[in-house]
Amino acid sequence: MRKTIDSKKYILALAITVAVFVGALIISNKFSAQRIAEIKAIESNISMDILSSETQFALLKESSCKAVDHSSAFSEELNELAQKLSYMEDSLGAKNSEVISLKKYYSLLQVKDYLLVKQVQEKCGVKPITIIYFYSNTGDCEECVREGYVLTRLRQEFPELRIYAFDYNLDLSVVNTMKSIYGVRDTLPALNIWEENYYGFKSAEEIEIIIPQLKKLRAAREKAEAEAKETATSTKK
Amino acid sequence: MIANVHLQAIAILPNIRYNVCEKTVRTSGLFSIMIESFFNTILYIFLFFSLYLEVFFMITFFEERENMKAGKPAQKKLSYYPSTTIIVPCWNEEKTVSGTVESLLAINYPKNKLNVIIIDDGSTDNTWHVIQKFKNNPQISLIKKENGGKHTAVNLGIQESTSEIIGCLDADSFVEKNALLEIAEAFNEDQDMMAATPMLIVHEPKTILQKMQKTEYHAGAFLKRILSPLDAIYVTPGPFSIFRRTVFEKIGLYKHAHNTEDMEFALRMQTHHMRIRNIHTAHVHTTTPDTLYKLYRQRLRWAYGIMKNTLDYRFILFRREYGILGMIALPLSFFGVFVFLYNFGFILFHTIRSSFSKIIEISIKGTSALVPNFDSFYINTDFIVLLAYVLFGIGLVIIWNGVKLAEGRFSPSMSILYFIVLYGFIAPLWFTRAVFNVALSKGTKWR
Repeated sequence: MRKTIDSKKYILALAITVAVFVGALIISNKFSAQRIAEIKAIESNISMDILSSETQFALLKESSCKAVDHSSAFSEELNELAQKLSYMEDSLGAKNSEVISLKKYYSLLQVKDYLLVKQVQEKCGVKPITIIYFYSNTGDCEECVREGYVLTRLRQEFPELRIYAFDYNLDLSVVNTMKSIYGVRDTLPALNIWEENYYGFKSAEEIEIIIPQLKKLRAAREKAEAEAKETATSTKK
Repeated sequence: MIANVHLQAIAILPNIRYNVCEKTVRTSGLFSIMIESFFNTILYIFLFFSLYLEVFFMITFFEERENMKAGKPAQKKLSYYPSTTIIVPCWNEEKTVSGTVESLLAINYPKNKLNVIIIDDGSTDNTWHVIQKFKNNPQISLIKKENGGKHTAVNLGIQESTSEIIGCLDADSFVEKNALLEIAEAFNEDQDMMAATPMLIVHEPKTILQKMQKTEYHAGAFLKRILSPLDAIYVTPGPFSIFRRTVFEKIGLYKHAHNTEDMEFALRMQTHHMRIRNIHTAHVHTTTPDTLYKLYRQRLRWAYGIMKNTLDYRFILFRREYGILGMIALPLSFFGVFVFLYNFGFILFHTIRSSFSKIIEISIKGTSALVPNFDSFYINTDFIVLLAYVLFGIGLVIIWNGVKLAEGRFSPSMSILYFIVLYGFIAPLWFTRAVFNVALSKGTKWR
């Protein structure tokens, strides 16, 4: 006699399978929510820090440029925020409302930081090294991928270099204002360096030609490293 | 195979990640997003059914757990020893046939109840000469015939036999001493059982491929044992499957069936509602292919045979009359090939895409792009990945229990690693070709 089909077993297996599916979905969403919260916390911290710097700057004015040295502040935090936001964008999708909201806030923080850096450094007589980068991730900009890698590499090598990345298609008035102030067309990727626009892919070498200070910074760093090495060797002797 | 489908899914985990500054993101527009969603949906459906089947098998495992105690039993005596004939068909097996026959003569079973018929199926090597050393053994009969294929040799042996139970042992396999005793006991205990299949174990695995097959056989043995109480076994493999004589009297002898006659015969038995059981305590060691080409040839024959025989017996599919065989086991063996290939294609596509992206990244950023990010934020907890973890976990439970079933206790080995790492990559070779051959009705060869 053939084993008969036990409907209860089929149903039990189905119930467990559905439970595992739903469970995986819930856990996945929970982790996503945690990540969103983490990103919000970072954004909040950066916002607080910018406000603090702005206030400090307003108090001290140009009397003490060293006291408000903003040249490399938040660079690391902004970079970390950028990476995490990117991860979430990839994970939840670029159209996810939470992701869009976080991106908008991130863009605002970038503009605030940009303005602060500009104010501080101009008043202290230093020319800021900044790149404003416009990209698109709607599939119409193949070169944006490579340009992104180039800028990441430069940012890693030169912490003094401040790169502000804006989604060209982000529906945010501040981004639109930036676009119109600098007259950026929709030929992407687009870089704005010292108020001049550069369209299409630019390699690290090309950017170094546009910003000669980068070479100087590298030379200075290499010299300092060599000196430090020499000192360490002589100390050992 | 189910386990392998899921083991593969793990490879999806390292997805493309990028820096906001990099703005990598999707390289295609709305249309390609729709296409991607379509393929993802298919994957979700496949994952759901795969998980369902694994859960179903695990429930059966928990039901059967007490009956699945492994370990070699102590010497036992039976109340009745059915007369037995074991047929050893051989074709150019000069190197292994002696060992096979000697393993048969050494088993714990009354000598007057056990006959061995060695049939040389027109060998062109020294097989006939080698087996002459057994000609004076009263338990052994030697027959030489013109080459006609394995099933013709076995059929001749069945016709020559007068025993109550009849089995076959391929000349590249070796039985453990208690194997027949265990099977005979099962026949005594269950009068409705018409055939018994043993637990197949890889004989002395030496190459990486053989070690990979060792774990594959372990996992397969576990699944076969699970299918046994569900009356869903659809292959009575050549090495030491034993039948009641009445089976052949009722449904006839083996017939040519896409070089997988053992599957056709099992399906024919199932259509006559004859009970086939897996006796996991009856251990039989079988030699497995040691090179990729030999493995490919063997598995192509199996995969092609499974698909063609399933098509021949398609009236079983999704018929409640045939129980779990019709509703689950047989559809799984057929459609599982497509699911396997789909998953493989999905993973291959994503692997190539992410590798391409990584190469671009490395070419621009240098070796710093290879440094992994250890921040817990980046641990992939996507829905599909969590599901893959679950499926992989159940796959490991299957392997674990397969090893326990074969060896008495679980012990980690490189074989498991080889199986996890290699199987998913090489199995598509024969599955793809099998699908191609079935589509073109292009047969396979034995060797």
